[in-house]
Amino acid sequence: MKILKLDNSDLKTLLTRWNETRDLFSPVEGNGKVGWQRIEPLAFNEPAEGVPRASIKVFFFPQPETLLEYSTRSGDRDAYVPRPAMGKGRERIILGVRPCDARSVMLNSLPFANDPYFKVRKDTTLIVGFTCERPCSTCFCSWTGGSPMGTEGMDIAMTKIEGGYLAAVLSEKGKELLGHLHDTKEASPEERKQLEALRKQAQKGTGPAGSPAEILRKKALMDLYNATFWQKLADSCINCGACTFLCPTCYCFDIQDETVKGKGRRIRYWDSCMFPLFTQHASGHNPRGQKIQRVRNRFMHKLKYFPERFGPLSCVGCGRCIRECPVNIDIREVMRDLLSIQ
Amino acid sequence: MDSASDKDQKWEPKIIAFLCNWCSYAGADLAGVSRFQYPPNIRIIRVPCSGRVSANMILDALKAGADGILVSGCHPGDCHYISGNLYARRRFALLKNLLEFIGIEPERINFSWISASEGEQFAELVREVTTRIKTVGPARHLVKEIG
Amino acid sequence: METLFSQTTEAIRREAKDLLESGKVAAFLGFVKGSLPTVTRPFVARTPEETDKLVWNGLCVMNLANYLPGLLKSLEPPRRPGEPPPEGPLPRVGVIATGCWSRNMVIQIQENQMDRERLVILGVDSHGMIDRRKLEVLAGGREIQSLEETDERVIISGRDFKMETARQEVLRDNCLTCVHPSPVILDKKIGPTVPERRVHEPFARIEEIERMDAGSRWAWFQEEIATCIRCYACRNACPLCYCPTCFVDDSHPQWVGKSIDKTDTATFHILRAYHCAGRCTDCGACESACPMGIKMRLFTRKLQKDCLELFASEPGLDLNSPLPLTTYQPEDPDTFIIAGSKKQGTQGGSEK
Repeated sequence: MKILKLDNSDLKTLLTRWNETRDLFSPVEGNGKVGWQRIEPLAFNEPAEGVPRASIKVFFFPQPETLLEYSTRSGDRDAYVPRPAMGKGRERIILGVRPCDARSVMLNSLPFANDPYFKVRKDTTLIVGFTCERPCSTCFCSWTGGSPMGTEGMDIAMTKIEGGYLAAVLSEKGKELLGHLHDTKEASPEERKQLEALRKQAQKGTGPAGSPAEILRKKALMDLYNATFWQKLADSCINCGACTFLCPTCYCFDIQDETVKGKGRRIRYWDSCMFPLFTQHASGHNPRGQKIQRVRNRFMHKLKYFPERFGPLSCVGCGRCIRECPVNIDIREVMRDLLSIQ
Repeated sequence: MDSASDKDQKWEPKIIAFLCNWCSYAGADLAGVSRFQYPPNIRIIRVPCSGRVSANMILDALKAGADGILVSGCHPGDCHYISGNLYARRRFALLKNLLEFIGIEPERINFSWISASEGEQFAELVREVTTRIKTVGPARHLVKEIG
Repeated sequence: METLFSQTTEAIRREAKDLLESGKVAAFLGFVKGSLPTVTRPFVARTPEETDKLVWNGLCVMNLANYLPGLLKSLEPPRRPGEPPPEGPLPRVGVIATGCWSRNMVIQIQENQMDRERLVILGVDSHGMIDRRKLEVLAGGREIQSLEETDERVIISGRDFKMETARQEVLRDNCLTCVHPSPVILDKKIGPTVPERRVHEPFARIEEIERMDAGSRWAWFQEEIATCIRCYACRNACPLCYCPTCFVDDSHPQWVGKSIDKTDTATFHILRAYHCAGRCTDCGACESACPMGIKMRLFTRKLQKDCLELFASEPGLDLNSPLPLTTYQPEDPDTFIIAGSKKQGTQGGSEK
């Protein structure tokens, strides 16, 4: 892996150049603003500690994704004939992405492996990540198989050091982005060592090391399913969708047609296993009609069903659900509870 | 003159009128059979009672592109169901104020009492409401647009 | 350090333990310490031992009334639809109630969501609850890693900072304008009595918005709800929202679209607020629950102001007074009604 040493002015130059042909996005927070917004190159600030409140999934799994469009005017020759809605659009560069969010893109591409919409979004988006020097108390990426210095899912990974950044070049596209700097700004052996040291140091403080996916895969499903602690969770849970909608790796959706004034579109929008409607049958029967069943499903999906099907946990340890849950349901406690079941 | 304002010039408001079965709808009927002229801007939806009209329906009409709303029922004391219109009056007072509070022009949301014998008054009411809504122009705020 | 909160915590633990040990209640609904310094977790204690974990402090922002109808139902012996309840009294629940929560319980009883007989209410006068968003602003984006609270002060600290402020500065907006801190129904009073408050200009912010022109009000409304992700935390935190099928889940007709379309989000917020008209007690749970920091309480606050001004009515203060939208007066305001003055109401008397 090639490591470059960039100073602050190099970054400014790069951003200005990237902005000519691509759209730049970055987390914008404060003054009542939350979320990712298009920015001007010189307006870029290094991201604040931890992760922004909105997850990066809005770029790959937008709310909503228009799948098809059609006319509903009976006079039109192509009335009710669907046509694809998606254009390729300009390439985007997302700046200031934390390792957990970048890793979530990789995890989501497992269930969306054959999804053309996800693929186009992914192919036209470049991720310039910023590794975490100071993880928050709610961060537990190491425990889910990631790391505060992790680079999975990124095209370029920036690490702040004295007087600039160490930039790890992780993909062909990342190399292209860097242009001539790629060949002229290589980091010195001392600087490479410094990066190694930072990586080692970062392993501490973000929860236990190593993902328990393997252990959870081996546990009997019904033992976990019938555990008694689910009742306690259900007692506290209000069944809102804050956790699922903020979660970078919650990817459940529903599809619906909307028609307004002669136009129609088929949209794919976020759904949440916390909502009773999620599993409601047309007959009226609801297999997950009770709160406890819905709470359990969210965690079982992330920590048991997903690992069984795809390998890793469907959680990157960003801690958003822990921070924003109105009733303080903490997925780390659920992981501990599940792991304690023999 | 550009085409947008040209379009606005020709614009005629669409007004959804929820009329109660027992008084206002009959009033509208009387206006018709008595040949009282009123603007063709209203689209009437007959409801059993003004008390049946919920905020959901009013918002739904606005979402679908209605430029204005008229809800009309029996005069207080005349309700076929004794007091449906009196409950409705409280609800409408709050709804109208709430919609105004979030920035919907007060002219768009109208309530009235029209009895079955008030054909002329009905025609007059529709003229008045249409004029009011014309002064604020096409609805833009709560109209759903896609694509 | 001994504070009002620590004393109240002790008293709640004692009472809850008594209730569970004596079998007077099957469960006790309260709060336990959360895993983060700025939140508490609503908790159902089912054994006397579990009551040792209960806490009472300024972070108890979720309205416990919200859990009651569901919890009471879950304690009933299972039965088929249509089957009558078993003979004899059904299991009871002990619960903590402040002014607003107790008013929500009154409303739930009035709306036949639960029986008063099945509740044992420990009444606590509220000293106002803390707004964690205000703490976040105070910390300036730095992570709060610990919080200490005394009767008058709040001290927060993080990796490289420590700050102290008056409680008053970080109270939730609804607590700052609260005039009913004492529970209106209760079985036992815990802790000291807080005098009825007199709030100078309780609707100041609402009046400020009312003074703006229509365009600015719309701009304010749009900006306020712009970050909404439609997670429905506001709805689910609300003790008034107990419909088995919410209007957002209706499909035929579908009142609200499902994605974060501008009109759909606006419609959701208008109708959610309106469904609380004449019922909202300004407990602030919606705002405290919102993960995006939207101040949706202002919409219900406006409705509350109008209920007070137009119908002189405050909901939930008394089990025997009807909720404002379930009753009427012949002389109710009708100035907004076009041509309404031609024929005055002939029928007298209000429905009781």
